[in-house]
Amino acid sequence: MAKTYDYLFKLLLIGDSGVGKTCVLFRFSEDAFNTTFISTIGIDFKIRTIDLDGKKIKLQIWDTAGQERFRTITTAYYRGAMGIMLVYDITNEKSFENIKNWIRNIEENASADVEKMLLGNKCELEEKRQVSRERGEQLAIEYGIKFIETSAKASIRVEEAFFTLARDIKTKMEKKLKEASNPPKGGHQLRASEPQKKPTSWLSRCTLL
Amino acid sequence: MDNELPSEFDLIVVGTGLTESIISAAASRIGKSVLHIDSNDYYGEQWASFNFKSLHNCTFSNNIKKHTENSSDLLNFNNDSFNIRNFSAEWHVPEKIGIYCKNDDSKNRQIESVINDSLKLEENNENSVFLREEILNNSRKFNIDLMPKLHFARGDFIELLISSNIARYAEYKSVSRILTWLNNQIEAVPCSRSDVFANNKVSVIEKRILMKLLSLVDKNDNTTGKYTILWGNLQWYNSYFLDSKDKTFLEFLKSKKLTTNLIHFVLYAISQGTDSTSCIDGMANTKRFLNSLGRFGKTPFLFSMYGSGETTQAFCRLSAVFGGIFALNQPIAGLKLDNNRVTSLLNGSQEIKAEHFVLNIEKAPVELVNNLKVTDYISRAVLITNRSIMPSEQEHLTLLIYPPEDKGNSVTLIEMGHLTGTCPQNFYLVHLITKQQSNPKDDFKHVVANLFESNYTHLQVDGKPNMLWACYFSIPNTSDLKLNDNDHLNVHLCDGPDLDLDYDYTVKKAKDIFQRIYPDIEFLPRAPDPDEIIFGEEEQSKLNDVCISETPPK
Repeated sequence: MAKTYDYLFKLLLIGDSGVGKTCVLFRFSEDAFNTTFISTIGIDFKIRTIDLDGKKIKLQIWDTAGQERFRTITTAYYRGAMGIMLVYDITNEKSFENIKNWIRNIEENASADVEKMLLGNKCELEEKRQVSRERGEQLAIEYGIKFIETSAKASIRVEEAFFTLARDIKTKMEKKLKEASNPPKGGHQLRASEPQKKPTSWLSRCTLL
Repeated sequence: MDNELPSEFDLIVVGTGLTESIISAAASRIGKSVLHIDSNDYYGEQWASFNFKSLHNCTFSNNIKKHTENSSDLLNFNNDSFNIRNFSAEWHVPEKIGIYCKNDDSKNRQIESVINDSLKLEENNENSVFLREEILNNSRKFNIDLMPKLHFARGDFIELLISSNIARYAEYKSVSRILTWLNNQIEAVPCSRSDVFANNKVSVIEKRILMKLLSLVDKNDNTTGKYTILWGNLQWYNSYFLDSKDKTFLEFLKSKKLTTNLIHFVLYAISQGTDSTSCIDGMANTKRFLNSLGRFGKTPFLFSMYGSGETTQAFCRLSAVFGGIFALNQPIAGLKLDNNRVTSLLNGSQEIKAEHFVLNIEKAPVELVNNLKVTDYISRAVLITNRSIMPSEQEHLTLLIYPPEDKGNSVTLIEMGHLTGTCPQNFYLVHLITKQQSNPKDDFKHVVANLFESNYTHLQVDGKPNMLWACYFSIPNTSDLKLNDNDHLNVHLCDGPDLDLDYDYTVKKAKDIFQRIYPDIEFLPRAPDPDEIIFGEEEQSKLNDVCISETPPK
């Protein structure tokens, strides 16, 4: 099968329960909004292929599967992630304070050069705001990452956020590819579609003997 | 954040070992409400992987405080009889050995030379570090398995990963070579056509004998895992090898006129047997080895990248995706009894009810296991070295079977380089596994002495690799204990890791427990791919079909 994309990026969503990670994911992948999923059930990851500077980029965006609730995100969740969206809720002070803890968690578990970005979600709820835009910007500067206020519900700047993160990863990756012409080989992904033909065991191949 | 757990579940799983995690995933998958809880702050129990510092400083306690309320209807979890014991860790390089690196970039450091003198290190300070410091600074690049496992490419475990769609949560690397210790040196075991041709230790006549034997074993095709082979085809084996039924595999191979070299390859390396392995086990293992060849790589084995601990987490992820609630580092105390039936879990001061309870053996209350005594232990050692046991241009993931010596047991050695995601560049991680005879250190003494340089004089550039750091410990082998013979029918105990190289037996046990709790329900049917799930108001019914909704916890 021909590859329908140039690059595949694995992205993660991280942040406290209820900040709208799944809604951000659905806004971006399906352009839909749904308040009925109370805690994240059955949602593993979503895929959307975007065009960026003439390249087709397949974004595979993973949700926490609710494992953030008691801070039990598996270390396996972080493997191979190239970008992480840190999400807080501008109407929830605590979720903003916890961003620092999530960053510590990322530093312990994710690859050191993972691209990060800070999202202040639910920006349509201006009247309930607890975290000012300035504080969000300040925190992002502190960690040297980009910052955007979004609304999954009102569809504000969600698209822009993912495109920005994807572009940053692409730039970093192309720079790296230029530097090292031999990228390290990854492992096998096991798939059901993998050809199931009976392997020619080395017995049958040794007909000369 | 809401920290109170819901008060009622269909199933509570205590402990995050592999068996429990498989059951947790299977139960969530069919729509049961599952609470998966642990006192540890990490996943995996004795199946876990640790970074360097956390293993070096590990105490292997249960992390459970005895509950003060001493009532007769509480079964306490604080039972330490199934914990890892005899843990010791030691450095094998002096503290002040420095290395000079030609590349300042810590990611691409190449060790260029060794500086024995700390004063010189100061002079060269830009590009130099102490060797111990280099290991400590790279602590989190180590993923050190308590019990490393390999998977047969066509074993029950890999088939389950694929059929259940759990394979998407992990990445695998194939073992690139299989070695053995023969006539006091390391020899490659021929696994592929080119291996056989290239092997000058096996004569043409020997090759013919080998082919004849292996074709005989390969007769019956439609089997995969060891246990399906053993139990599904017992009949076939009985009829085929009737005269060999009571023989050992060694006697059988001798009767087929195999030479000493061939017996060594087939018995120790291919079937991973010992002199006392029965013919039927030896045949089944050989067949399993052959069946798994040619699917994913040159050898029949796969290894989960970033360590075996990832495997447990993959099952936990599936459980969470289907609504399982996960809580680690919890103040779990014990199980509450009512009329000889366990009704709830006591977590701190909260009582949480459930129909069924699945417990890891380390959490088993004394009352449930007072007839059981651990008699078997698994000896383990982990070494960090500076070179491969058999260096070559490309980096290998190596399995070495060290045959039994002096009535001892064979030792399994797995060497991992940095491409496996389990150790930093310039270092190798070596795992040793055997059935315990005296204590881990003595059990591995001969292997370590023959393959590694444990006394530091200088860093070896050729010859044996330097052992830079080592740790030893014993894991209780609980796989043969009759764990579920107690009166509490709604409590199910899961054992720890066994001596098998792979997970097939564990899969079988998890399936057995699952089917005891939920008879006649499919075990881990394929999970849908994300694009098969459609959300939206009008699609709500579809949502309920594909994934399982749950009343949100109040």
